[in-house]
Amino acid sequence: MSRGELGISRWLEAHTDRSAGLTTLPGNMVLADVAGTGDYHLVLTDLKFNQDTKCRLKVYKGTLLVSDQPLPDIPSSVVGFYADQLEPRIPVVAVACGSELFAYKNLKPFYKFRVPFCPLVDEEAGVWTEVTNSESFGADKLLNALKAIPYASLSARSQYILNQTSPILVAELLRKCGKTMPTKENIITCMASMARSSRDRRAIACPIIATEFGSIFVLDPQNFAILHQANTCNVKATPFIIKSTGLFDVEFRLLIATREGHICLLRKGWLEGKCLIQLTSDIVDMVAVPGDNFVIVATSDKALHCYSKKGQRLWSTTTANLVTCMSLVPLEHISTCMVAIGLKNGSIQLYQGRQPVDFTSVADSPSVITFGQLGQEEHVMVVITIGGSISFKILKRTADFSSKVQENSPMLQSRPLPLPKRSKLFLEQSIRERKNALEIHQTFQQDLIRLRLSAARALVQNLSDQSGIGNEKEQLKLSAQVLGLGPKFTVILSLENINPNNPLVGLCVTFHVNPLYYVLSLYAAKVPLIPPSLSYKLETKVEEVIKEGVESDDLPVGGGKGNCKVIRVFVTRELMPVPVLAATINMPPTELIV
Amino acid sequence: MGLFQRLANFLGVRKKDVNVLVVGLNNSGKTTVVNSFKSEDDRITDIVPTVGFNVERFQNQNLAFTAFDMSGHGRYRDLWEHYYKNCHGIIFVIDSSDRLRLVVVKEELDLMLQHPDICQKKLPILFFANKMDCKEALSSVKIAAALGLDKIMDKPWHISASNALSGEGLQEGVEWLTQQIREMLSVKS
Ligand SMILES: Nc1nc2c(ncn2[C@@H]2O[C@H](COP(=O)(O)OP(=O)(O)O)[C@@H](O)[C@H]2O)c(=O)[nH]1
Ligand SMILES: [Mg+2]
Repeated sequence: MSRGELGISRWLEAHTDRSAGLTTLPGNMVLADVAGTGDYHLVLTDLKFNQDTKCRLKVYKGTLLVSDQPLPDIPSSVVGFYADQLEPRIPVVAVACGSELFAYKNLKPFYKFRVPFCPLVDEEAGVWTEVTNSESFGADKLLNALKAIPYASLSARSQYILNQTSPILVAELLRKCGKTMPTKENIITCMASMARSSRDRRAIACPIIATEFGSIFVLDPQNFAILHQANTCNVKATPFIIKSTGLFDVEFRLLIATREGHICLLRKGWLEGKCLIQLTSDIVDMVAVPGDNFVIVATSDKALHCYSKKGQRLWSTTTANLVTCMSLVPLEHISTCMVAIGLKNGSIQLYQGRQPVDFTSVADSPSVITFGQLGQEEHVMVVITIGGSISFKILKRTADFSSKVQENSPMLQSRPLPLPKRSKLFLEQSIRERKNALEIHQTFQQDLIRLRLSAARALVQNLSDQSGIGNEKEQLKLSAQVLGLGPKFTVILSLENINPNNPLVGLCVTFHVNPLYYVLSLYAAKVPLIPPSLSYKLETKVEEVIKEGVESDDLPVGGGKGNCKVIRVFVTRELMPVPVLAATINMPPTELIV
Repeated sequence: MGLFQRLANFLGVRKKDVNVLVVGLNNSGKTTVVNSFKSEDDRITDIVPTVGFNVERFQNQNLAFTAFDMSGHGRYRDLWEHYYKNCHGIIFVIDSSDRLRLVVVKEELDLMLQHPDICQKKLPILFFANKMDCKEALSSVKIAAALGLDKIMDKPWHISASNALSGEGLQEGVEWLTQQIREMLSVKS
């Protein structure tokens, strides 16, 4: 992971409020110019899951909370979009609560849209028509009839009846509402918005809603009429993230992630989406990268997957920790779109393609990340954590992501490799190989053994060649000279720097002998700097230990097994465990004059 | 007599031009500050808008003001840093109601103070804690603390809370700056 040059973060920590006590979920936080002044505000929902306290819609101007109003129900999603061209341009903020969509302008609710009811399944409709028509439809009969229908496909009223423990209550309910058909609410699960006909940042856009039963509605931004309705998929699918690309009037693509682990595609004109990608683990979050039309999906098994717009997997990578949320980080000034990945351990990784290029962190697990303009600042990242804190981070103007090696977008391996055609020569050779397999193998083995032998010979030659062994990589050459007849010798080592340009520094020489045979005047020495192409001479006095009763001739001499009449020389570099050079000097026998 | 006129008179008639840079983030009130220096009768405005980079110059006799936004990502940096070369004083305008961007102001200030054309010189720096009339505005003391102004040892500096729309606080600051520039020039010559 590389940071900026000096190891300084690319993010300025503008503000953190650990006691904000905010609870929110992905899809519930947007940056919008709600005042119409060019001063972007942060709009989010603060969820309260206990019965008595209401969920709230909160608006931050910069780091200050400027509006806080109760919501009628638990919200599932918030979007901001421009509905008209009136000056000053003020966007609509739409909050989905249950099966209703509340539209706010100037932070005041002005319109409520209710998603059309879902038709009852035939069996349930049959049961209730009977109930409404006949006076004497018993509670037991109703319970049995409803039990026969899959629970999940029932209306809320039928589900409620099934959950009652006493038949008296059921009879009571039946008496109260037995004259009407139940309705099946279509709960909104997620939303998005899509520009109508222009890519401008403040272009008019349509809200898109997806519901529990898989219906997708594209609404008119002004009168909330349904412009387009479709199903997510041909099988049961519960959308929970929806992303849009393209323009409603021209061509658009909606990507819908479902709780069942599918990612479905819905295009302009389609009445039913097509399952594009099927994942084996649960989807945590998804972003659609504009331009490339890539989809990046985080799953609950710490994996990130990137798919092309056709649903082909381009790459996968694993993250260090569980992903909790994601956000696009479009950086127009360097024409890239990064993806911020919030991890459970409180770190936020910034991915460019499949490469993490930067990171920043927050107090605990982030639950929602958004990036965009806030106030006057273009590049603000707002993070709400599961612990309820809110952090504002600003990308520095000087932030430089260019030093990183830019990876090309992953190449597709769908085309076969450009292999040359099989030539006649190739065919002949393969026939020959099949025919004379044994001989060819034997010849090959013979040659291999010969090669090994000559390599071994060369090595032995090299090892025994005392004068002038060298280390090519280190650009160092060592030669030794032994003077004297014994028992006193002088060994002169010569270290030569064979590099014509750079000096050699930080070398040490160590002599290793068996103290039973030799005593040296110098065992280890530091080598001073050796200038390029020059050599350094080092001298040590050697005295052979002559013990009485031990004839020098008894000692094995030469290249024998237990050769003790040697001095080993190691040239080492400071702090390196492996010697740069090692050599053995065979000492001549002392010619004793008795 | 406009503020500018006073400043020009105070500096006296000199052969040499005096250049004052007016810097700060976008929307901090630089244009408003510079405009309030101009008196009704001698309004010589010269606005040079460039793509992504806005410079406003305004000159009378030998006193010139150059204002530009310290915004935009990197690309235009070189353009405005070019103005650092021959300036005699700096007016740094801060929107004291923009708490979110106070870190950005600090970052930009630090970058400016580290710039080779600035760090060597003993330039006087005048900080306007502008938009003091806004209710979210931080006091000039708080801004000075947040920006770490007490750490500026090698340059004379001064901070005054201002309201560029009404002109409040501008005069006090400009008088300090004029005094500083005068001292600096008289030491030099
Ligand atoms: N309330 C208030 N608004 C101000 C003050 N100074 C400037 N403004 C407003 O801030 C906005 C930006 O001012 P401008 O001078 O264009 O900023 P510049 O981008 O730094 O040149 C304008 O709408 C001004 O009217 C001030 O002291 N108080
Ligand atoms: Mg301006």
